[in-house]
Amino acid sequence: MEQMVQGILVVNTETIPGMMITETLGVVSGSTVRAKNIGRDFTQGLRNIMGGELVKYTELLEESRQEAIGRMVADAMSRGATAIVNVRFATSAVTAGAAELFAYGTAVKAE
Amino acid sequence: MAEGGSLAFVIILVISLPFLLLALFGLVWSIAYPVMLVWAVLFSGKKLNQQIADTASREASLRESHGRDPLTTIDGGYRSDITSCGVVWTGVVFGPSHWHLLIGWFNNLIGGSIDIFQKVVSAGRAEAMQRLRENAVANGFDDVINVRIDTSDMAPQGGKGGVRAVEVFAYGTGVKYG
Repeated sequence: MEQMVQGILVVNTETIPGMMITETLGVVSGSTVRAKNIGRDFTQGLRNIMGGELVKYTELLEESRQEAIGRMVADAMSRGATAIVNVRFATSAVTAGAAELFAYGTAVKAE
Repeated sequence: MAEGGSLAFVIILVISLPFLLLALFGLVWSIAYPVMLVWAVLFSGKKLNQQIADTASREASLRESHGRDPLTTIDGGYRSDITSCGVVWTGVVFGPSHWHLLIGWFNNLIGGSIDIFQKVVSAGRAEAMQRLRENAVANGFDDVINVRIDTSDMAPQGGKGGVRAVEVFAYGTGVKYG
C-alpha cells in the first residue's frame, strides 16, 4: 500500500502524472490462487448466517492480492522497468473453495 | 479373555471416533442452527441498517475534514500539479444473512427487483469505497483518480453450502498535489 512497491511505481492510469514514458516493456502479470481453510470456512459460515462483512475473508483476499501485486512487480523488475501503468485487477472463482486473483499492467520505463 | 475384549472395544472406539464426532456435531448443529437463524431473523436487518448508517457517517465526517470527496473516475485526473502518485486498493467481502436470503428467495418467486440484495450489495460497496477514501487519506494522498470498482461472487456456482457473499474490490491511483 506504499506509493512505491519495491522501487517500482504502480498506477492504474494510462500515464504517470509528471513523468514521460520512454519505453514500453510489455504486459506484466502476477496471479495467486488462494483456498480458504476449513476452520475459516466454518467460522465464516457461522458469521454468514447473521450477514454482513466476513472479516477473515476480507483479510485473506487482501493478503493474496498483495502477493499477486508482488509477483507482477517482480516480473516488471526482471524486465528492467521503473513503473507499471494501467494496472487492472481481475478475480475469478476456480472452484467453490478457491479464488484466483490476477493483477496485470504494462511495464514501462519512465523518466 | 477380558483383556482381549477391552482391546477390541478400544479399537472399535478409535475407528468409530470420527463418525461419533460427526454425529455429535450434527446433533449440536441441528439445535444451534435454528437458534442462530432466529437470531438472524430478529437482528440482521438492524445490523445491516447500522452498518449503512456507520459507513454514511464516516463518509460524511471524512468529507467534512477533507473538504470534498476524494474519489473520481476520471482517467488522469483534472489537475496538472501532481507531485506523487501510487496505487491504492481495498476489498470487502460482504454477504446477506440467511434471513435476507430467505426474503430474496420469496422475492424471486414473484420476480421483479430484489430490493433486499440490492441493499446488501450497495452497503458492501459503500463500505469498500469508504475504506478506499480512508486508505488514500491515511497514505497522504489528496485525491484518488481513475477509480474502478469490481464485484465478484464468492459463492459456489449453483452448489449448496459455502458462504453466500460478494467481494467488492475498489482500486484507483492516489495522487498528491504540489
